[in-house]
Amino acid sequence: MSAFTAWLAAVGTLCGAGIVLGIALPARHAPRVIALLGMLAGLATLGLGAHALGGAPAATAIWTIPAVGDVVLHADALSALFLLVTGVVIFAVSIFIATSLPPILRTYSGHAFAGLYFGLVASVVWILVAGDVFSFFVAWEVMSIVSYLLVLFEHEQEENRRAGYLMLAMSEAGALAALLGLLLLAAHAGSQDFARMRAAAPTLDGDVRLAILLLTLFGFGVKAGLVPVNAWLPRAYTAAPAPFVPVLAGATLNLGLYGIFRVNADLVSPTSVLPGVVTLVVGTLSALLGILYATTDGDLKTLLAHSSIENAGIITAGFGAGLVFAAAGRPVLSSIAFLVALYHLVNHALFKTLLFVSAGAVEQRAGTRDLDRLGGLVRRMPWTALVTLVGVLSIAAMPPFNGFVSEWLTLQTLLRSAELTSVGVKVIFALCGAGLALTAALAVTCFAKVFAMGFLGMARSAEADEAREAHPSAIASMTLLGLLCVVLGMLPTYVIGLLDVAVAPIARASAAAALVPPFFAGSAGHDTLPSTFLGEFHDLGAQVGEGLAPGPGLVILHRGGAANPVVFAAAPTYLGLVLAALLLAVLGVVAGVLARRRAVVRRECWDGGIRRLLPEMTYTATGFANPVRVIFHAVFRPTIVEDTRTTVAEHFRTAIRRETVAAHIVDRLVVEPGRALTTGIAYQLARMHHGRLNAYVAYVLLSLVIVIAVFAWR
Amino acid sequence: MSQWIRAGLRTGIKTTAYPAAPETAPGVSPGLPVGGPHPRDEIAGLIARCPTGAISAGDAGAVVDARRCVHSYRCRRGVATPLEWAQGYEWAIRGPTDDPRRRLGPAFRRSAHVIVVDAGDCGACLNEVKQLAGPYYNMHRLGLFLTPTPRHADVLLVVGPVTDHMRVALLKTWEAMPTPKRVLAVGTCALSGGVFGPSFVAEGGVASVLPVDVEVPGQPPPPLAILHGLLTAVGRAPAGVGR
Amino acid sequence: MTSAELHARIAERWPGLVHCRTDAATSLCEVTASPGVLADLCGLLFLDWGLAFAGMIVEEGTTQWELRYVFHGDRRTGWVHVLVHGPVTEGTFPSIVRTVHAADWHEREAEDLFGLVFEGHPSLGDFVLHDDAWQEGVEPMRRAFSARTPMSERRPNTDWRPPRIVQAPGAFAMPIGPVFAGQHESVHFLLETVGEDVIHAIPRLFYKYRAVEKLAEQRPIDHVLPLAERFAATTAFAHALGFCHAVETIAGAEVPDRARLLRVFLAELERLRHHAGAIAAICESTALGVAASQASILEEELLRVSGALTGHRYLFGLAVPGGLATDLDDGGCRDALGRCRDTSARLDRLEHMLQTSSSFLDRLEEVGPITDRDAWVFGLVGPIARASALPRDLRVLQPYDAYEHLAVRVPSEREGDGYARLRVLFAEARESLRLMEQALAAVAAGAVAAPIRVRPGAALGWVEAPRGAAFHWVRLADDGVVARYRIVPPSFVNWHGFSLGVENFAFQDFPIILATLDLSVAENDR
Repeated sequence: MSAFTAWLAAVGTLCGAGIVLGIALPARHAPRVIALLGMLAGLATLGLGAHALGGAPAATAIWTIPAVGDVVLHADALSALFLLVTGVVIFAVSIFIATSLPPILRTYSGHAFAGLYFGLVASVVWILVAGDVFSFFVAWEVMSIVSYLLVLFEHEQEENRRAGYLMLAMSEAGALAALLGLLLLAAHAGSQDFARMRAAAPTLDGDVRLAILLLTLFGFGVKAGLVPVNAWLPRAYTAAPAPFVPVLAGATLNLGLYGIFRVNADLVSPTSVLPGVVTLVVGTLSALLGILYATTDGDLKTLLAHSSIENAGIITAGFGAGLVFAAAGRPVLSSIAFLVALYHLVNHALFKTLLFVSAGAVEQRAGTRDLDRLGGLVRRMPWTALVTLVGVLSIAAMPPFNGFVSEWLTLQTLLRSAELTSVGVKVIFALCGAGLALTAALAVTCFAKVFAMGFLGMARSAEADEAREAHPSAIASMTLLGLLCVVLGMLPTYVIGLLDVAVAPIARASAAAALVPPFFAGSAGHDTLPSTFLGEFHDLGAQVGEGLAPGPGLVILHRGGAANPVVFAAAPTYLGLVLAALLLAVLGVVAGVLARRRAVVRRECWDGGIRRLLPEMTYTATGFANPVRVIFHAVFRPTIVEDTRTTVAEHFRTAIRRETVAAHIVDRLVVEPGRALTTGIAYQLARMHHGRLNAYVAYVLLSLVIVIAVFAWR
Repeated sequence: MSQWIRAGLRTGIKTTAYPAAPETAPGVSPGLPVGGPHPRDEIAGLIARCPTGAISAGDAGAVVDARRCVHSYRCRRGVATPLEWAQGYEWAIRGPTDDPRRRLGPAFRRSAHVIVVDAGDCGACLNEVKQLAGPYYNMHRLGLFLTPTPRHADVLLVVGPVTDHMRVALLKTWEAMPTPKRVLAVGTCALSGGVFGPSFVAEGGVASVLPVDVEVPGQPPPPLAILHGLLTAVGRAPAGVGR
Repeated sequence: MTSAELHARIAERWPGLVHCRTDAATSLCEVTASPGVLADLCGLLFLDWGLAFAGMIVEEGTTQWELRYVFHGDRRTGWVHVLVHGPVTEGTFPSIVRTVHAADWHEREAEDLFGLVFEGHPSLGDFVLHDDAWQEGVEPMRRAFSARTPMSERRPNTDWRPPRIVQAPGAFAMPIGPVFAGQHESVHFLLETVGEDVIHAIPRLFYKYRAVEKLAEQRPIDHVLPLAERFAATTAFAHALGFCHAVETIAGAEVPDRARLLRVFLAELERLRHHAGAIAAICESTALGVAASQASILEEELLRVSGALTGHRYLFGLAVPGGLATDLDDGGCRDALGRCRDTSARLDRLEHMLQTSSSFLDRLEEVGPITDRDAWVFGLVGPIARASALPRDLRVLQPYDAYEHLAVRVPSEREGDGYARLRVLFAEARESLRLMEQALAAVAAGAVAAPIRVRPGAALGWVEAPRGAAFHWVRLADDGVVARYRIVPPSFVNWHGFSLGVENFAFQDFPIILATLDLSVAENDR
């Protein structure tokens, strides 16, 4: 058996062992079993991915199903990348499960959780290594159903059940749409094997390509959380139990994006710009709506769910740009765009998992997820606050963390539309670029709100005031993810090299070659750089790290032609080092020089001289986000539920009550009309079900007459 | 908008020349009693007429404690020999706890920020402080600025006798100021409680709550006197030596 | 309706339950009512017959409480004092706030300072003495309480929380003060908001409570006069006049004509100066720098005129019972009037320039509106009431000093917003100058003070201060000391109406609303 199948078997065995031991052993052991075996399964997945990244293993057909075809297992570089991400996430979350699961097991079954958890891991890995439509879909369905069962794990609450049901319904609808898309491709290729579908794709009709894109974009887009098929996502993420949500956000969301990538970039390479433009627009809309709702939401988990929608939108937008560039005959730009989208996907998996683990730890210790009732946690939970800060800065795209690199690169890639010819496409790129820039600004607002209202200031409730530090396992899990955020932000050139292995075969051009110039002496291609160019950048310090760090260089720089030698450039590594040095210098000056000569006194915050500053006098999260709610009123359209003034004796005001409720814009514009239409049609059809036997007999006769008439006419 | 520019230019410069030259316009100061030689048999009458007991008998004649004068003018009106008063406005004196070590340094001579705390003032002292920021006195040309936050303040200007309810606010303001800092008590109420204190709701002046560095008597002290007090606080004018 | 008609109609309405006594000479109708009809009687006077509510005066006798509710109309209708008594050991009275809402704060103050209970009042407690600084049960205005001894044991309520009115998810209350702006008086606000607009603002006053009414007790008149003059010194002359009127009424003194006219001259000079300052404050709040400077120049010039004419910029030490403490030189008065004419002309020019600055008007129009009905129900006084179509002015309704011989025109506006209040201030400033001209034209040589023979008694003195109607109630004891001194300043009444102008406003309009309402904290807190 090859190394590939060996790794695969390792993963399968660990998952199987997890299921068996989880069910067999008493439930109180379940957290430790899941943690231990989960960590090992994560490591095994990492190994599988690393192995697959090293050299593309051959596709292995392990079984032949009559009338369907072969069940093929294959892991190319793209799958390998997703396997690596999944492995890290599973590893980190499994550490967290050790201490976040026991409170839930007081009411619910540990056996069930163990079985479902490892079932999910196994199905996720299987989706990523599936090489044919059949096994892909069986694994997809298993993953959907297991996710559904895990989302409504705490099934005694009504809203959890409803959220889970909505998730299942939309998942299934999406799966069917995606299946239809894949079957269109398979029908054209005459086989359900991915390799043969890829080979037959170039002869596809333009209309069929568009149909496949739309079906898979919105079909797989359900899992990814794209507008307008993401109504389930905020509800399901809020309903899912704290140990499971990070996996939902860090592993299964990626599968939707994997499906879109796989079909539309790998199997079907784009020939017209329309599919790409549609993807770009859908991505931008998802990003904007996601972050708008995240900024104005007060529940920590729901906020992070909306933020996942936003990030999925950014990834999809980058991907759409890549499709447009590929169709326009610019393979290098297309490769860069795909790489940037995957970079953001990896980053998102890391910082979103970190933030969801943090949200789970905060809920466990502070007793509430409502940002209006949290506050002051930086004094009670200092380590949690520190690693959450890393996650918050990463998701808000602050240098030198990883979010900065991928968001910056996304915007720069969209600016490359200047190299296209069609004016209409350029206008759409410009609008989408502006939309993504607005998204980035709103993201900063949103996460400033999360950290400031959740952790800083005064505690706004008694439970937040009594919170204890999170369990070391949660902190360990978050620290690991946080360190990876820092590493991926400070060493982007290596990440670009790694991602290029996955992207280059698909886009048929190397992005790394276009993004990382070989400034270090001795690296491949160093001698091909023009000497004046090299000299200028050496003066700027581009060779710092030569000899110490391997690889071509530490500077991201995209070169244009002679007229525009530097299209865009950034050096997050140096930036991070300089920022760290400045911070240390300031601290050194303050501690060493200033503090020596003066007494340092700690005083209260200036509050205007009142006797006691109370928590209700400090800003709430709702208040902080209210300007956004007001400016984007047209999107939110809140309806006033209550606006009353209670007065005593006509002039003594005792209470002014205001409450508004707002339906999500997608619900208002798409889901509600769709539901109304469907129920309308169903109602009309139901009128035929009136129970009168004579009428039914008449229906049968009528259909018989029609069928005979049709056949007679033919 | 141009009408405002024209109006401003037409108005010209109204600012007083003080401290470069003395201000002589009528109505800029209510004057302050200085005491001095006085017919012995009338001193007792004067002492009885003063509502706050600012006058006492001394070796040289009538002695006036300016920190208690509330400008009732009863020692000048309706008496055979009016008490000696002086016009002028340079009334600032060193406070009871003035400490040479706790002075503002030379850097503050031409740039000092002042926070005003109203600890029960009647409104007149605060109105005179308001005039300081107006065109006739223009404290900004001397580098003095009013700030609403104690974190930026160098001089704490207190008016009023310090009511019970304002005690905590005053102390918090003082504690929130970074060093170096000075306290300037302005007005008779802030020095001795005036007609209001001490009582169950008011202290007898700022000195019972904070260490006072410079005192400016008067009820209210005119803007020029407050300006003299501020210049004393930043070290640009020599203060009177106090009582 | 004349006093006699009032007497008759009240007596026939509640036979047996009220006892009326009318003094036609002073147009005073004193009605002693039983507690059961108090609320209805006051409602009849205030709501049905449209009399103005001047205030409530609480006096602790040796055996009984006497609560005096003062109402007034014009000269014909005169004054109605409704008296209600209760044993001094009890102190429970019915509340009249449901019919006379203007009595709200009077009852709260009486509860806090005297320990009286007003049944039916919805919100007693934490008013003058802050609950987080004083324990319950401290009644400083009771006879047994000594003003000069500091309280040894203080047990404040450390769990006290401010009352909140807005209930909305995510609502919070931004605190402002008591130390907040560059030169604003000490007062605390809680601005309740959900994050963008302020829904409601709750002020907390009495940070500057100096217990003037308590300090005045057991002191001779010439020790209480400085208190009356200095508790709100930006309108010192007006309040001193109010106190003097009360003492003159008790003593039955006739103030000489020259003193009456000079009093009018000085009172209008003070009004002109005060309004210039208020206009400067409004321009300052809208950050129209040049206009603020121009108005500030005018205020300083008027202060210098006052100082040059009388020796003191705020007119301290001039008003005494019986007339003026010193005569003013006629030539000096004419010079002062000339300078005031010049200042008033420049004020008119300033008004014209402001009326053509649309960005300035944008910030004032429809800001802090108070409807005419609300102004009437809350019993607002002064320029802000006149801006809300309530043109009551004591100089016309109940003339004092020389006003009955002078033509006083009272300006009135309808909108009740910031711009209307500004227009009223300018119009009143013009009117003040006209009154100064009339007074100086009519003045002749003569005495400026009449002797005062102090005898026991009680009387109400009133004056139209620059901020509105002020009432001073003085009771003198046998030995000529003040037994009770009650001040109802215009700011006390108008601060009560503050909540009317501060609902649903943008945060940056807050200083403008404060400036246009021209409320004095020192005057309210006493």
